[in-house]
Amino acid sequence: MEKKKIIFKINGVEKTVEVEPNKTLLWLIREVLKLKGTKKACERGDCGLCTVLLNGEPVKSCLVLAVEVDGSEIVTVEGLSRDGELTPIQKAFIEHGALQCGFCTPAFVIVGHWLLNRNPNPSREEVVEALNGVLCRCTGYRPIIEAILDVAKKRK
Amino acid sequence: MLPKIEYSCPQTLEELFEILEKYKEQAKVLAGGTDLLVSLRDRIEKARHIVDIKKIKELEKLEYREGEGLVIGATVTLRKILESRVVKERYPVLWEAVRTIGDMILKNRATLVGNICNASPAADSAPALLILEAKVRILSREGFREVPIENFFTGVKKTILKPWEIVKEVFVPEPPRNHFGRYLKMMRVMSEDLSVVGVAGLGYREGGDVKIRLAYSSVAPTPLRIREAEEAFLKPGTIEEKIERAVQIAAEKVSPISDVRGSAEYRLHLVKVLTRRLLKQIVEVV
Ligand SMILES: Cc1cc2nc3c(=O)[nH]c(=O)nc-3n(C[C@H](O)[C@H](O)[C@H](O)COP(=O)(O)OP(=O)(O)OC[C@H]3O[C@@H](n4cnc5c(N)ncnc54)[C@H](O)[C@@H]3O)c2cc1C
Ligand code: FES
Ligand code: FES
Repeated sequence: MEKKKIIFKINGVEKTVEVEPNKTLLWLIREVLKLKGTKKACERGDCGLCTVLLNGEPVKSCLVLAVEVDGSEIVTVEGLSRDGELTPIQKAFIEHGALQCGFCTPAFVIVGHWLLNRNPNPSREEVVEALNGVLCRCTGYRPIIEAILDVAKKRK
Repeated sequence: MLPKIEYSCPQTLEELFEILEKYKEQAKVLAGGTDLLVSLRDRIEKARHIVDIKKIKELEKLEYREGEGLVIGATVTLRKILESRVVKERYPVLWEAVRTIGDMILKNRATLVGNICNASPAADSAPALLILEAKVRILSREGFREVPIENFFTGVKKTILKPWEIVKEVFVPEPPRNHFGRYLKMMRVMSEDLSVVGVAGLGYREGGDVKIRLAYSSVAPTPLRIREAEEAFLKPGTIEEKIERAVQIAAEKVSPISDVRGSAEYRLHLVKVLTRRLLKQIVEVV
């Protein structure tokens, strides 16, 4: 298979990579860039654990081809904190105990960031709707929702 | 892992059709990829060449013209449709149907045109498009044709599209004045799933009479409009009698199967329950 050269930004850093067209964005992130915060699970769009921001919008990276992101900007969970300081959402997850095994946490944090960026004061229903595509099999949805609502409240 | 594929991302329709003519059956169009990548991975679909249409400007249109209707281009995402005030206000049944598809993250990529081209019997946008009498606008190097969506689906995952054709856009005409429309979708779980059965209906008054349109997902090899059930409202009788007649006809016309989401018997039961529920809501409003 012929490799394609793609240029993109990930967490603010420009990268040039050659990839085969049958590789996914998820594979690019985990296996080439070695950013393991983004999780691989169902690989068929069901669980949402591979969610990253592509040009500012959340996408399930197992359903995006790596070659599709040529010229794009990607943010993964590793790209959220600044100068080693956790973001308010990350802190709120800790305060609210919004994780058990933690496997789903990066995806929820990413979606939480996206939601509060476009809607700084979401209702509970809006939070639930935004999170609908991410599964937590330890079933701790309530503290996750609370954590995100709490960040919004404190910002006001 | 995905099978070996080639990929191209044309910027113009001319380039796109050149590729489609060259590869014919071996080419597949990529829009949001939320169906295509899963079917390729599962080896349900085969393709040698994937053509990404997301960079083609002519396919981005989401436009409403008063008195004419709504154009939804091939790369318009479900999220864009959901955020459109015009769709919400003028085409509430379509808006409600789009809302039920997948989740917010999926809607950032998935397109309405991809939903119908994938031609699943469960395609949630299809019943709404059927009762809104949408037209599918098909383009190829040979030219342009416009087909009523009722003639677009030919079987499970099959449409009238030739391998070298694409759907450029869907056109949804102005709905009947003062209509009321809804999509009821029964799922196995509260959050995200394909429908066990879905019913789209709309009603409006013409003269003094109530007119009804009804279409279904997941009850037959293709999404299905059932005109015979609609015609129950043209015959004399009380509203209750008309509703019951429509429910019975709908139940006779569907041909549901048993699968992981439900048995044929359960689906048939749901067709009756949902049709009755929906018709009662409609006649109360119009
Ligand atoms: C987790 C998950 C949940 C889902 N939930 C639902 C749901 O609730 N309801 C539902 O109906 N669907 C659901 N789907 C299926 C899918 O997301 C939708 O059908 C979606 O609208 C497909 O759009 P797309 O742009 O991603 O299509 P793609 O995957 O890009 O394309 C789908 C098919 O159509 C063809 N195609 C696309 N555009 C064109 C064009 N312009 N011309 C010709 N051919 C074209 C492609 O070649 C492919 O065969 C779900 C999928 C996933 C992964
Ligand atoms: S791994 Fe991508 S949605 Fe599950
Ligand atoms: S904390 Fe374990 S899956 Fe969510």
